[in-house]
Amino acid sequence: MENIRKGFEEVGYITDSEVIITVYLALKLEKPILIEGEPGVGKTELGKVLGQIFHTELIRLQCYEGLDENKALYEWNYQKQLLKIQIMKEAQSCENVEQDLFSQEYLLERPLLKAIQAEKKPVLLIDEVDKTDEEFEAFLFELLSDFQVSVPELGTLTASHIPMVVLTSNNERELSDGLKRRCIYLFLDYPTIEREISIIKAKVPDINEKLTEQIAKAVHLIRQNREIKKKPSIAETLDWARALLTLNEDSLSEKLVKQTLNILLKTKADIETFNKQIGAHALDEFARS
Amino acid sequence: MEKTIEANIVRFTHLLRLAGIRVGSGEVIDALNALTYVDFSDREQVKTALRSVLVKRKGEREVFDRTFDLYFAPLEERERHQMEHQMRQDQKKQQIEEAQQDLKFEEENLELTEEDKYLYSQMDQEDKERIKDYLQKAEAGKAREWEPNVKPLIETIVKGALRRWLHSHPDQVDLQERVSTGDQELDYILEDLGQKAPSGEDSLMYEDMQHIKDKDLPKANMLIRRLAKHLVTRISRRYKRSKRHQLLDLRRTIRDNIRYGGTMFKLKYRSKRIQKPKLILLCDVSGSMSRYASMVLQFIYGIHSVLGNIESFIFSDDLERISQHFQPGSDFNQLMVDIMNKSRVWGGGTRLHQSLKTLRKNHPAVLTSDAYLIVLSDTKTESIGETLHELRTIKKCVKDILWLNTLPEQEWQNSASTRAFQPLVKMYPSNTLNDIEKLTRSKIFA
Repeated sequence: MENIRKGFEEVGYITDSEVIITVYLALKLEKPILIEGEPGVGKTELGKVLGQIFHTELIRLQCYEGLDENKALYEWNYQKQLLKIQIMKEAQSCENVEQDLFSQEYLLERPLLKAIQAEKKPVLLIDEVDKTDEEFEAFLFELLSDFQVSVPELGTLTASHIPMVVLTSNNERELSDGLKRRCIYLFLDYPTIEREISIIKAKVPDINEKLTEQIAKAVHLIRQNREIKKKPSIAETLDWARALLTLNEDSLSEKLVKQTLNILLKTKADIETFNKQIGAHALDEFARS
Repeated sequence: MEKTIEANIVRFTHLLRLAGIRVGSGEVIDALNALTYVDFSDREQVKTALRSVLVKRKGEREVFDRTFDLYFAPLEERERHQMEHQMRQDQKKQQIEEAQQDLKFEEENLELTEEDKYLYSQMDQEDKERIKDYLQKAEAGKAREWEPNVKPLIETIVKGALRRWLHSHPDQVDLQERVSTGDQELDYILEDLGQKAPSGEDSLMYEDMQHIKDKDLPKANMLIRRLAKHLVTRISRRYKRSKRHQLLDLRRTIRDNIRYGGTMFKLKYRSKRIQKPKLILLCDVSGSMSRYASMVLQFIYGIHSVLGNIESFIFSDDLERISQHFQPGSDFNQLMVDIMNKSRVWGGGTRLHQSLKTLRKNHPAVLTSDAYLIVLSDTKTESIGETLHELRTIKKCVKDILWLNTLPEQEWQNSASTRAFQPLVKMYPSNTLNDIEKLTRSKIFA
């Protein structure tokens, strides 16, 4: 567990003991981690960071509506097979052609198969799994329990190393109980003010302490508002910090908040809500308190 | 009782199930395995390990934490809790016995349930005196002379008075039925869990929407908007997949492969377009539904923010189209003010038959064979027969009628209108936010 903690520190991913224990257990129990949370809290980043910590390949499957097995698992290289057939037309002997055409050479590996066949234990990041259809989800949880797939022409392919699987979900829809049962669950919330200060310090080291604290407090206040739909993510906090640093500012002010608010809030409706319900003056005052 | 770790974890998971967390046996095994990898002397590590394998929903985390803190409390604390629980039980028993002494008619005990007697014991002295006074007057009135079997009548009147009192003092008494496990230790934890229920999302999910307190309304509104979004996100993803999902487009394939001498080198496909179902929302804003009104609008607002293909109507005495108010990016509060100000039907009586007739006559274009009609109402309406007739007529025009009934499911049997409409439509309980959450998981559009 201590090694994982050090690993996170080395790659600059500021986190808490809950994340460390969950990752540790997932590794020990060889179970996928299902991470849920608001957009922008660092779910995908956690998957990427695991690849860095364990110095292993990160295989990413980005999910979307309509994703199917062909795009996620494997496909036969139809063009290459056709070329082979064309070449074989001229040849005298056609023995074993069929067997040859459906060999590994003609198989196009997609992320899931790639993860199963990897030589070193990889990190398989299945991003935004809530965007897939239920049929694909059912297929996925079969794969995640056995870590083997059946290719009719080749037989069953079993994983030589069980991949470290990270599934992320924005909770746009409820995932099935079957999938959840097979996973270890982690809910990532927005960081506390103290943790966000640490994140800013780690990622934007040149910024002064006073401004760091003010930024973290201001972002925290905006996130508390229920009416703001797209709350500022950690990445947006960092962008804001970098922007303020570029402007050579060492403290927040009402004017500065007004000028740079569009870095944190990206829709007209959210900016209007902010102006009505919080206001640049109140935000500045709260951040300075 | 066995004191092994295994036995303890099994009891703990049993408790979690009683507290409403879904835990499968596979997860219990995972929990035991997980404990072999953590430091037992570190309480937080044990808690996190168990939480990560046993809890799979954000909303269940708080319940888990409270259950864990109570179940794995230090021994002295547990004993103290147990003693307090026992004292509360004894006190309640005594209060019921005292109530029994008061609630008599001509020296005979009134036939009342334990719950009724407990209700009486919780009343203020003044209210108690009023009931005792009534009983004395009934005795003095010698009602038996003209009605020998007057006791059941007296009992009904007393029960009615008790229920009326409960209705006007909903926060003064806790009548929640708790499962008795037969294990005193688990019972006290369950009772504690019930008493200290947070006013957070968890408890709101299970509360009758009609009884949600004003201070919790913003939170409830936010939840319902989120649930509405979940519901339609599911709908918008739904499409039938068949083996013909990808059809070969022969014309384009031949044209594109002429350059390869006719060998079908590049295949071109035709994909079936994803058909998102059309929805017609019909929401009851009559007097009986007034408490739900803002939530009803949140529900419509949530659906509109995800799905464009939707027609919304509100109804009470008659029907009113409100789809035009839901423009992208519109502010909800302003929208609510606009609708309430302009509406002529807000808070009126319920004439669903008339509303359905208006829908059929004035908006026939929306009633198409691929549309689902969703009715959100407590079914309380005038002219059940005519409403049934209208529902039958409309059902022939649309794909299906789905009814989200805000009446508690246990009252459906006693409601003539619910019983009448049930065979004709697909009816789903929608009395609590949890009911709506269940809907988001079920395949209602099938």
